[in-house]
Amino acid sequence: MADHHHHEEFKLNDPDFSRLNQKLDRRNFLTKTSMGIGALALGSLFGNKLMGNSARPEISNATADMEQEILKALPHFAPKAKRIVYLFMSGGPSQIETFDFKPKLVNLMGQDLPESVRKGQRLTGMSANQSALPMVPSYYKFNQHGQNQTWVSDLLPFTAKVVDDLCIVKSMHSEAINHDPAITFFQTGNQLPGRPSIGSWLSYGLGSDNENLPTFIVLVSKNGQKDQPLYARLWGNGFLPSKHQGVQFGSGKDPVLFLNNPEGYDGADRKEMLEYLSKLNQMQNSTYGDPEVDARISQYEMAYRMQTSVPEVMNVADEPEEVFELYGPDSKDPGTYAANCLLARKLLEKDVKFVQLYHQGWDQHDNLPSGIASQCKATDQATAALITDLKRRGLLEDTLVIWGGEFGRTVYSQGKLTANNYGRDHHPRCFTMWMAGAGVKPGISFGETDDFSYNIVKDPVHVHDFQATLLHLMGVDHERLTYKSQGRRFRLTDVEGKIVKGILT
Amino acid sequence: MMLLDIFTFSGRLHPLIVHLPIGFIILAAFFDILSYRPKYQHLKQTIRLVLLIGFIAAVLACTFGYVLSLGGDYDRDTLSNHKFSGITLALICGLLYLCSAEKFGKYLQVGGKVFSALLVGLVVLMSYSGHQGASLTHGNDYLTFRTLMQQEREKPETVEQAMLFEDVIQPILQNKCTQCHRDGKRKGELSLESLVEINKGGKNGKAVVAGKLDSSELFKRITLDEDHKDFMPSDGKPPLTKNEVNLISWWIKEGNVDAGITVADLKNTTALKPMVAVFLGFEGFADPEDGGTETAEAINPGIPHVVDTMSITSLRNKGVRVRMMLKKPVMLDVTLPPKSGVKLNDIIPDIAKLAKNIVWLNFSENDLTDQDLDFLPSLTNLEKLRLEKNPVTDQVSNYLTSLAYLDAVNLNETNITDKGILKLKENPRIQRIYNWKTNASEGKLD
Repeated sequence: MADHHHHEEFKLNDPDFSRLNQKLDRRNFLTKTSMGIGALALGSLFGNKLMGNSARPEISNATADMEQEILKALPHFAPKAKRIVYLFMSGGPSQIETFDFKPKLVNLMGQDLPESVRKGQRLTGMSANQSALPMVPSYYKFNQHGQNQTWVSDLLPFTAKVVDDLCIVKSMHSEAINHDPAITFFQTGNQLPGRPSIGSWLSYGLGSDNENLPTFIVLVSKNGQKDQPLYARLWGNGFLPSKHQGVQFGSGKDPVLFLNNPEGYDGADRKEMLEYLSKLNQMQNSTYGDPEVDARISQYEMAYRMQTSVPEVMNVADEPEEVFELYGPDSKDPGTYAANCLLARKLLEKDVKFVQLYHQGWDQHDNLPSGIASQCKATDQATAALITDLKRRGLLEDTLVIWGGEFGRTVYSQGKLTANNYGRDHHPRCFTMWMAGAGVKPGISFGETDDFSYNIVKDPVHVHDFQATLLHLMGVDHERLTYKSQGRRFRLTDVEGKIVKGILT
Repeated sequence: MMLLDIFTFSGRLHPLIVHLPIGFIILAAFFDILSYRPKYQHLKQTIRLVLLIGFIAAVLACTFGYVLSLGGDYDRDTLSNHKFSGITLALICGLLYLCSAEKFGKYLQVGGKVFSALLVGLVVLMSYSGHQGASLTHGNDYLTFRTLMQQEREKPETVEQAMLFEDVIQPILQNKCTQCHRDGKRKGELSLESLVEINKGGKNGKAVVAGKLDSSELFKRITLDEDHKDFMPSDGKPPLTKNEVNLISWWIKEGNVDAGITVADLKNTTALKPMVAVFLGFEGFADPEDGGTETAEAINPGIPHVVDTMSITSLRNKGVRVRMMLKKPVMLDVTLPPKSGVKLNDIIPDIAKLAKNIVWLNFSENDLTDQDLDFLPSLTNLEKLRLEKNPVTDQVSNYLTSLAYLDAVNLNETNITDKGILKLKENPRIQRIYNWKTNASEGKLD
């Protein structure tokens, strides 16, 4: 074993690789020499004005494409946030039972939703055929909390305690009315699958702050009801190079699949193996020029580093008992929302740029009072604990926390309305999200809905506006971060998106 | 595809090749005149060869020139003058070669003086043709006596003194449009060189209609999406800035103000004045495109626009993470990874060179003591400082009282006490102090 016989350079006799050894042919000569003239011209155009310093001239290379030029300009603004944790409440949590307090609904209980409010909106197939659309107030009481006396539902006692740190946006609105398009829209800026997720865009634009861990990490709670599926493409890289895709950490023995050494292999010569593999891959790449080969090389290297970094960050044995108490009893059970919140804090401490949690089960078409109560119970304490923990550690200074679903829920009951039970259908016209931390005003509510929580009456915030603001806080101009695919330049916010200046500090 | 590329490529070689016949024909004429002196009589022999090379070069230049003329929108008259004078030139050059050649010389006998006269005439014709060619690429007024006499307008001292057309609109058009839209080239049959020409318009009608943005083709074209095929300037040439577009829009809306009118003569100029000030680069007016007004306000003006990149590289090589937060000015976020084992003395020289650029600094969990941190007062633009999980004491507060931009200090899990916190509070700028898990009494001082 000790004597490896591959000390000489590889030489591949496969005809596919023959071009490697060929001299410049006529066509190549013409292309390369004319490019060379272009390169000279470009070099003198760009010069080394960059950064006003001539110590290390960076001569622009004509082959460096558009992409490099775009990335060189980043960041566009001084960033307020260095990392983001996005708590995605998948299924569409009801705004009416959580943050959007509508006391007037109490007197309207059971009355039909006025046409003047609905304005002919098309409903989903689930409630469009109902003979009546009886309005229903929140089953749960609201109380005022914090210095700013913000109304918060009794379902969220822990969140209520940190409400002065939150910037609650009550005027979110989306274009999609069903789960998958709506989540895909939130995550990628388009209802159709195939575009890169927010975290992938940030990884592409800003790179990594910790080369031992992925830039974009995804944690999915095991204790959310899996009534609506989540697909890995929601954290996919779309057309961006695949090293920007979100990496899902699981809760079992192998948090990252296939990362551990296989049984019976001690891993001692792993590094050597990877070096040779990378050499082979580079050969492949110089023949085919496929960027995915580069991605493959860097993924192997990342996986190698993660063999030590992941067990370290997943290990919560060093956390004092007080931390588990803060996050709640679930936090000792790996894979629960609470345990994931704790894990998220540890990842953020390691400067992972984008951590995304998903908690499913917010889709209360029926039995909403009991359903939403158990959802809140599973998430409320840990969510508030994450805020508290980040704040006391000083991490809320440069971390942005985001909480929200893909749409809201209707004011009218889906299905039969009784004194103790009702359901609510999907409602994209208004819903509530909140943000906290770097760059957003703490303790405010932004935007207003009408008395029915049906239409927005003040400061609407579209999904693209939210995305534009998120990128802005990270120092990125959403109009300038683009990637060319299939002949067209794409943005996260497509052709829309306005920064929500009202919530920025 | 490849064929087409070589075609246009060779066309673009015309301006290069064209100088070869110029050189050879002048050389031939020069030799011819010199050869009248006995000392240089032998040069007579070489003229033939020089003319032959000149002829071949001239034919090549004509061919490439023809290819080039197919691709561009050039002024028709100038182009045909250039074309025919160029071809004639090549033909005469060839004939003169034949005259001097032994084989054909007997059929085309010309006397020595006549030959010289023809050669000089050829040089004159060449100068004419060359001038036409230069007019095509550089514009009619590139090399004329008028240019020699013209005076550049001095930059006005105030916004009021500035003439809207001469000092603002015309320079914009000259910078961004007249490379193609000028008297000689007239792409789209449009010239934007003078007010008269602007008002004439081009192939697609009026370029500018006084008071009507919608019907002004020029305004339409500069405000299209950059990817639109009709967008101007075309072919990826630098587009107009937002401010320039706004100025042109104002100028058209207000009835495309005539020449010779200053801003002071105009009415309703509240919106116009700042735009003109930005365009003329008066102090205190930043172009909102450069960094954006709202962000520019918040940025500390003391942060330098340059940075010692060698020190950044050096820090990175030593395992320190240096993140570029902004490029103009250069703001840095410097992080020493926890338990890095890096000796502070190794990195202090680099830190010192970047002192004014460092805006965020994170040295947490690196077993640092007060003595290690005595460089902190030099980081005059520091906004956020993280020192948590280091055995630092109250002493460290003394380093931070003078920092005029420091917003947040993280001293969690250090040996800080109330005394140190009180000292920190002497710096009125500090908004947030983190002292979790220390002996300082939480809350009381917050």
